Amino acid sequence: MLSKGFSGGVIIDNPYPVDQVDIIQAPLPSRVVLPLQQRMGEEAKPCIEIGDKVLTGQIIAQTEDIFCVPIHASISGTVVSIDQQLIPHKSGLKSNCITIESDGQDEWIDTQGCGSDFLHCDRQTMIDYIQQSGIVGLGGAGFPSHAKLHKALDCHTLIINGTECEPGVMCDDALMQNYPREVIRGVEILLHITGAQKAIIAIEDDKQEAYQSLLMFNHNSRIELVQIPTKYTSGAEKLLIKALLDIEISSGGFAADKGVVCQNVSSTKAIYDAVIEKRPLVSRIVTVSGNALAPINVEVRLGASFDHIISLAKVNNKEHDYRMGGMMMGVDIESTSLPICKITNCIFVNNKTIKPQPKECIRCGNCNIACPVGLLPQQLYWHAKSENIDKCMNYNLMDCIECACCNYVCPSDIDLVNYFSFAKALHKKQTLDQHRIDIARERFEFREHRLERNKRERSEMMAAKKKALKEKMAKDKDKGNTQKDKIAQAMARIKKTKEDNA
Amino acid sequence: MHSTGLNTNQIMRQVIYALILGVSASYIFFGWGVVIQILLGVISALAVESIFVALRGRKVVESISDGSAVLTGILLAISIPAIAPWWVVVVGVAFAIIFGKQLYGGLGNNPFNPAMLGYAFLLISYPLQMTTWPADFLSFNQAIEVIFQLLYFDGLSGATRLDDVKTSLSLGRELTTLQIHSSAQAWINAGFLIGGMYLLARKIISWHIPMAFLSGILIMAVLISMFDSQQHLPIQNHLMLGGTMLGAFFIATDPISASTTPKGRLIYGFLIGVMIVIIRTFGGYPEGVAFAVLLLNMMVPLIDYYTQPKVFGRS
Repeated sequence: MLSKGFSGGVIIDNPYPVDQVDIIQAPLPSRVVLPLQQRMGEEAKPCIEIGDKVLTGQIIAQTEDIFCVPIHASISGTVVSIDQQLIPHKSGLKSNCITIESDGQDEWIDTQGCGSDFLHCDRQTMIDYIQQSGIVGLGGAGFPSHAKLHKALDCHTLIINGTECEPGVMCDDALMQNYPREVIRGVEILLHITGAQKAIIAIEDDKQEAYQSLLMFNHNSRIELVQIPTKYTSGAEKLLIKALLDIEISSGGFAADKGVVCQNVSSTKAIYDAVIEKRPLVSRIVTVSGNALAPINVEVRLGASFDHIISLAKVNNKEHDYRMGGMMMGVDIESTSLPICKITNCIFVNNKTIKPQPKECIRCGNCNIACPVGLLPQQLYWHAKSENIDKCMNYNLMDCIECACCNYVCPSDIDLVNYFSFAKALHKKQTLDQHRIDIARERFEFREHRLERNKRERSEMMAAKKKALKEKMAKDKDKGNTQKDKIAQAMARIKKTKEDNA
Repeated sequence: MHSTGLNTNQIMRQVIYALILGVSASYIFFGWGVVIQILLGVISALAVESIFVALRGRKVVESISDGSAVLTGILLAISIPAIAPWWVVVVGVAFAIIFGKQLYGGLGNNPFNPAMLGYAFLLISYPLQMTTWPADFLSFNQAIEVIFQLLYFDGLSGATRLDDVKTSLSLGRELTTLQIHSSAQAWINAGFLIGGMYLLARKIISWHIPMAFLSGILIMAVLISMFDSQQHLPIQNHLMLGGTMLGAFFIATDPISASTTPKGRLIYGFLIGVMIVIIRTFGGYPEGVAFAVLLLNMMVPLIDYYTQPKVFGRS
């Protein structure tokens, strides 16, 4: 089944292996913090006020932006504040958040959905339910599911991404082992929405338990389970499509252009919850791992603090480094009082270590081999370091998916991806500046043109006037001639009369 | 791919370890001179590197501990004759480190292989000292006396086999009448070949450059022998004489001055092999590894630019 795969990528064993992938249900948090800014699109506007009572699943903020989903209260209780709070983002900046104090009841609001009889619902209604339930890509990218499904009009294959996005993250594995029935039902819903002929659930070959449990519940001939080699960046959508179908999505293109729709397996389960159980997305499974604790998977309400679930794992009492989002593409964090978001797939707690100092690049070329998209990170690094953005563009900087395979294999411990994201930001700024310059120049040139035109028109007008005057004068002259003649004749007559008189 | 799990300093150290076999073979045939040259090379490399790094205002200990200066010192020391006067290796290493590396901005920024730059400089400046090899095993005392010129010493020296053959051929002698085989050179080459295999196995170097390098030599040697087998070296001697194996696995594979793309590395290695045979056959010097490597170092930016791999999603 596996055709050619993609070149590059790195093979990394789970650094914190566990024997059994269970899911621990985290206790209801006493308060939750829900950010209004989502991964993309504009910030949602609160539709409740401070002091309001809210129920679990109630929409508390939304926006008109089609790329956005509404924000739901993840617990029932009272809205205590709407203000700036720290959010889990690499910028480390604050963003507007709604804080809800729990009443401990977890009282749910009545919600809409299709129920188990979803085959009678039409496509658009179901997509609307998915949007209203706040479902986004739970693998880490946070791309809204409804936007993908909306684009998928002419879809032949549905891919369910059950590959863990990063080594050491186990939340999808745990989900597939614990909710196989829900996942399969979710896939059936997606098949119904997209009208695809078949669905492929891709699972890495080191996740046998997950594979077996899905196999046991899959009685649908249109759903195929495929095991793929465990290699990092297999979870990247375009690379997964290449590995499974040998279809290469062009740079800047979308999977939907080629009739493929990709959904994360956790999102698929969330879609099942939304459509059949009529439950919006208010919780997710988070892997808490690292060498400072015994790794666990926790199902927790969105907006609960990192501390809330870290305390569930047996953490040693040494000093720790914290990281979210995985060892490769994740971000180091200082504080653990951040709220858990829809894209928070893992939190790593490691014993404090001193990071190796980067050394000079020796052009060993390991990064060239590791790069899954065929870039030359070594050359890009050289040009990014000297801020030569044009050269970076020649080397296709914008195709970099920032997977950090190059960082992983670099013997000089250079944070290559950091240089690349810097160069990308610089390119963005330069493009924007250039755009402004272009606009200013156009405006200037138009002004010059206008002045020139006015001048020309004026001079043409003057010339025309002059010409008309001249013509008139010439005419007048002609007239004048006749008059002169008349005068001369009159004079002659007078003279004659005078002579006659004399 | 898997990560090699080695950092830059460890890689340099591994390369040094891989040289041990070839160096031991060299010691067996040429004696203590080899060891003394290496010591001189390493000491002068460390001294020159320290001074220049300090002058550039960088951290001396960090720079020394990356092992690159030591490696340059060793590579140059084993390339020059074991009885060359002490100042030859010192001058060569100083030139290699100053003009070959530090003036370009230190490790990672040098376009040329520093050791080969030093070698070429020495070969042009001191041709006599650079082509006189010991004809026999030298004891420690003998070696000290020769290298530090305490005693004028003639009876134990001779030209290298490649040099010898070249001179004889240019004098119009028939190849069949010449002694072209050298078991010393063959054993030394074998030592470096095994060391190279170790580096390949540890994934410290990729197979591209050595393979292409040796195929370049092979193909060019076959082509030349097809035209005139009497006046030129046989193929197996091209592979097992001179600095072929050292060049293929330790010199041309220096990542800093080599091409970095997989396709580029094949072209780079192949052309070095071709150039070596051309220089050995038609050039003025008996050995061509250094010049071939330096010539191709110059072409690396061009090769790299035209051998970019296909980017995912682009045609």
